[in-house]
Amino acid sequence: MENQTAGVLVLGGGPGGYTAAFRAADLGQRVVLVDREPALGGVCLNVGCIPSKALLHAAKVIAETKEMSENGITFGAPAVDLDKLRAWKQGVVRRLTGGLAVLAKQRKVTTIRGYGRFTSPHQLQVDLAEGGTTTVGFEQAIIAAGSEPLTLPFIPASDPRVIDSTGALELAEMPGRLLIVGGGIIGLEMATVYHELGAKVTIAELMDQLIPGADKDLISPLAKRVAARYENIYLKTKVTGVEARPEGLVVSFDGPKAPATDTFDRILVAVGRTPNGKLIGAENAGVTVDDRGFIPVNKQQRTSAAHIFAIGDIIGQPMLAHKAMHEGKVAAEVTAGKNSFFDARAIPSVAYTDPEVAWAGTTETEARAAGIEYGKGVFPWAASGRSLTLGRSEGLTKVLFDEGSGRVIGCGIVGPNAGDLIAEAALAIEMGADAADIALTIHPHPTLSETVALAAEAFEGTITDLYLPRPRDRPAG
Amino acid sequence: MAAATEVSVPDLGDFADVPVIEIHVAAGDVVSAEDPLISLESDKATMDIPAPAAGTVRELRVKVGDLVSRGSPILLLDTEGTLTEPPLIDQQEPPAQAVADPVAAQEPARRSAESALAAGTPGTPGTPGTPVTAVEAGPAADFDGVHAGPGVRRLARELGIDLVALSGTGPKGRITKDDVIAVVRGPAAAPPGAAAAQGGGIPEIPAQDFSRFGPVEIRPLTRIQRLSGPALHRSWLNVPHVTHNDEADITDLDAYRSELDAAAKTEGYRVTLLAFLMKASVSALREFPKFNSSLTPEKDALVYKSYYHLGVAVDTPEGLVVPVIRDVDRKGITELSRELGAVSARARDGKLDLADLQGASFTISSLGGIGGTAFTPIVNAPEVAILGVVRARTAPVWDGTAFVPRLMLPISLSYDHRVIDGALAARFARYLCHLLEDVRRLVL
Repeated sequence: MENQTAGVLVLGGGPGGYTAAFRAADLGQRVVLVDREPALGGVCLNVGCIPSKALLHAAKVIAETKEMSENGITFGAPAVDLDKLRAWKQGVVRRLTGGLAVLAKQRKVTTIRGYGRFTSPHQLQVDLAEGGTTTVGFEQAIIAAGSEPLTLPFIPASDPRVIDSTGALELAEMPGRLLIVGGGIIGLEMATVYHELGAKVTIAELMDQLIPGADKDLISPLAKRVAARYENIYLKTKVTGVEARPEGLVVSFDGPKAPATDTFDRILVAVGRTPNGKLIGAENAGVTVDDRGFIPVNKQQRTSAAHIFAIGDIIGQPMLAHKAMHEGKVAAEVTAGKNSFFDARAIPSVAYTDPEVAWAGTTETEARAAGIEYGKGVFPWAASGRSLTLGRSEGLTKVLFDEGSGRVIGCGIVGPNAGDLIAEAALAIEMGADAADIALTIHPHPTLSETVALAAEAFEGTITDLYLPRPRDRPAG
Repeated sequence: MAAATEVSVPDLGDFADVPVIEIHVAAGDVVSAEDPLISLESDKATMDIPAPAAGTVRELRVKVGDLVSRGSPILLLDTEGTLTEPPLIDQQEPPAQAVADPVAAQEPARRSAESALAAGTPGTPGTPGTPVTAVEAGPAADFDGVHAGPGVRRLARELGIDLVALSGTGPKGRITKDDVIAVVRGPAAAPPGAAAAQGGGIPEIPAQDFSRFGPVEIRPLTRIQRLSGPALHRSWLNVPHVTHNDEADITDLDAYRSELDAAAKTEGYRVTLLAFLMKASVSALREFPKFNSSLTPEKDALVYKSYYHLGVAVDTPEGLVVPVIRDVDRKGITELSRELGAVSARARDGKLDLADLQGASFTISSLGGIGGTAFTPIVNAPEVAILGVVRARTAPVWDGTAFVPRLMLPISLSYDHRVIDGALAARFARYLCHLLEDVRRLVL
């Protein structure tokens, strides 16, 4: 392959990288996109958000048909054809990644498949997937090289029975007993899938709650539901060792409720992700990388090298596709001379578990820790007609308001489709809406979206769908 | 680590392009919150801009004589106790200079980056190649807590507007797109009324090269003239003016005034006809409240004012200013005379505050010290009337049996015909003259 030159080089073709590449191209830049995977889309499209959502949909269908038997419709036990399910999932992924290839072509973005490393401030060397190497010279660069699943040293990674999220999505076979190390979003989503497909799931989480970082009241309906369905949930529990034996993986635990040892057919390690900052020769380009592998940037996504930008997982938490995409646009615009900044006031987080958990802006835990004077409006879904007609009543919508300004500062939702509902809260935070703005916006009835307005009404004291004996004291107005 | 905060000019009201007349601090000075940083002089009002917080002045961004407006940077202040972001380069730093053929120019490029790093600034001039589009300098400030949606925040960044210094006109003070655009249009962009008056479909007077006809010299208008011009133009175009003339026999009043004035001189102030005109005007305004009203913006109702603040036109070397004497109804001739003396002196010295110039409900313009027989004062909208007086003169007046010499004062009352009709104006003028003709009525 001939050596290439680029106005803007983008390293990494995930959601952040392709967004940056496309935006830069649309702004008239000559863009080269380097990605090591055979298909664009990165972890999100290939081995993350998208395939997991396909499998979660399958899990949801199984769960709902099962539950409907209580209400008069009984289906037979599902016959799961793993090959067919996997093929459908891969079809969805192919369709999306194929779409990206077309979008790249339409914009005349040159795509190079291979592993790129910086060799100088203006050069990237690529070990091509097809063999051989090439060099890309560039004026400016955007690093979007992402992250990898974190591994634990005492778990034998070489054993095929030990998998990470990528392996879990491959659905090689259904284990009898599955241990998931890590009770965060990824672990719980995979637990949802494997449980419905017939595995006996055990979760070991180091912290004292599932999805650490989210408010406890939002997690509690989820915790209650999974506790009743999964084999074991061990909180405050450490996995201290794994011994691979022919009959199974013998795991030693250290935790208040966990046994000393137990044997599993498979282990899914979902303890987090680590950035790829140390794997790309950043030092050759004058780009500072911190000890953990993150690349520090300013609010214009600029690294310590002024002509090189970084976005997405590689610059820090939260490692979320939608954050990376937004950053990608900022970086692309800055390379094109626009004065763009990343100044988002809310980055929503969603766990696509059953029930879903979503939050945006300040969490109640954070507000309390920061000493923010806040008020909250809470609406339990047990009073939502729409939720009950879905056969569910455990949901909760909570909206937090700054006592001083009256504006929305955060929102948390647990319940089916919480991930879709949280977008309204993000908009409200960005626009500086207060409780009345949300409460006085007519929401369609009966929907789950109403619960956001009803939570705002609960804060306002104008709610009629609940009886609050002692409306909270509020400053007038 | 200390954070550098850019201190900018706060909202000055309707004023823009105000000169800096004094700078009270220098780089390195330690200031406390509220310490004056610079002084501005606007429309005869002098104001200090205080420090928003304690800190050390890092760098001045203005010098004496600069014209500043709301949002103009004044200086960089290192405020204590606030942590900044990780030690990254300045957000507005332009990207490193590019290399035309980066592959071929690998070594120079590398050297360039190395020397740039050594120098602490990315990019080194002299590297062959074309520069990459530099990022326009813009506000580095966070828009934390600013009540503006993301679209408006982006627009502000693109246009280099600091939203922190902007007050919004949207619901609950939200900064709208229009607010940002209004700032960009800049100080020239006056309120909508003025814009209409300047354009308004009126053909411009064609420019002429006067030097074709003889030697000329261009001298800028004074600040006061530049400020009052658009206001006068606005009033003239918006208000359908009628001027009603009358005259008052002030022979007795003037005799009384002279007595008072002789006594006052010994106490260091003067008693002029103006004080009597003010008292008489307030009585007339009470009798005819429409003259103390304003049209609502919708022009479908009148706002009647229960206060009597009178604007008094004062001639100064820089031009005409109209300080406002408040609550004239509650002040006597002596008090008014003293206040008029003080305010006129301050006006001539250019020491009036903004508050001195606001809130008039009716205005008096007196040319009595100079001459004239009548003139057409322009109503100071949104007021609805203005009283003009010229020089009183002794004239033969028929008293029924003979001509007697009387001191007659011509008055010219201009009014907004949308609010006041001719008959009412005639009655107001007559009533006013009647009061002036017998000073005893003034105390009633």
